[in-house]
Amino acid sequence: MTDARPTPEDQVLKHYREHATSEPPAHLDAFLLAAAQREVPVHKPGLWKRWVQACQKPRWQVAFASLVGVALMLALVQRTEEQLPSYDFAPAPEVSAPVAKKEASSSVARSLAAPAGAMSAPAPAAPMADFAAPAQSESINAEMADEAKVSKRSAIAPAKSIDNQLREVIRLQKAGQAQAAADLMATLHKRFPKENLTARLKDLQKN
Amino acid sequence: MSAPESSDESLLARYRAGDGPAFEILYARHRQGLYRFLLGLSGKSELAEEVYQDTWLSLIRSTSQPQGRANFRTWLYQIARNRLIDHWRKHGIHNPLHDSYDEQIHALSDDAADPEQLLSLSRDNQRLEAALQNLPADQREVFLLRAHGDLDLSQIATLTETPLETVKSRLRYAQQKLRRLLAEEVLT
Repeated sequence: MTDARPTPEDQVLKHYREHATSEPPAHLDAFLLAAAQREVPVHKPGLWKRWVQACQKPRWQVAFASLVGVALMLALVQRTEEQLPSYDFAPAPEVSAPVAKKEASSSVARSLAAPAGAMSAPAPAAPMADFAAPAQSESINAEMADEAKVSKRSAIAPAKSIDNQLREVIRLQKAGQAQAAADLMATLHKRFPKENLTARLKDLQKN
Repeated sequence: MSAPESSDESLLARYRAGDGPAFEILYARHRQGLYRFLLGLSGKSELAEEVYQDTWLSLIRSTSQPQGRANFRTWLYQIARNRLIDHWRKHGIHNPLHDSYDEQIHALSDDAADPEQLLSLSRDNQRLEAALQNLPADQREVFLLRAHGDLDLSQIATLTETPLETVKSRLRYAQQKLRRLLAEEVLT
């Protein structure tokens, strides 16, 4: 059997353990515990957890709800804007299509497009705008007050463009293309039946 | 029924994962032993406090864990020991833990000690401290690691990078000398 009694050496160890009284100072304990709390490693939760936690806070709930509300409003406004133009230009092809077809085959059509570069005043797209403007004004509904205002503004434009067309007639005549000048004149008479085109042509020839 | 006590290593891991109170438990377990080890080894309370603070702060700020076979206790005392040695080096003090000491000569005088003297060992703190400081530094270190660090001999051998047999003999000589010094103090 072995002797279970502690050896004299072990009793010295025990004696020291029992009678040691030194302790770390209280201020050091407090400092270290505070430092440990302050510098406790931050364990970052996952993205989904953070999202759920944020959703549970009232101020974020309000923010998310506002954001969704704004997004819905924007979507609705965008859709409404997309739908508006559909009825506005619907009748236009009925008028402009035959004209374009007719003009494409004749030399008058070429002359309508060609002088744009020769004459300084009108923009290249102006002749087409001339044809589109009356068509548009015809398609205006009574309810579309706003559109009517726009067409009133555009009605000033034909006066200028008639002169341009008439100048083109004069140019064709001077160039010896009498037939083309007559065709253009006839087309203008059809488009602007109320205008005294002959008188205006004479005025322009004088100038 | 009480819940099973968490190991030092699991408490450290919990603290590293953001559990602040885990550190408080760990600190409460080791504060006294570590402080007494440093005070006994350095012999100066100011130095002991400085190294004690550095040791805990480095543990708080570090992200490392005990490596290999070392457990938390060995690791903690290793950090403290290294800090103290660094301090000595900075101040141009020769490392007293590696002094050349003839253990055989110091052991001879204790062979005839009477075991009955154990009953009358001094309990006076100043005498206990004086006897401890009377030990050679390498014996004192082993004795303190055993008494206050509660490390076993193989852990002390690993920590001090000393052969196990040397550790055993240092501890034995330290205990014999302390017994003699304290008994003598009482008898005179």
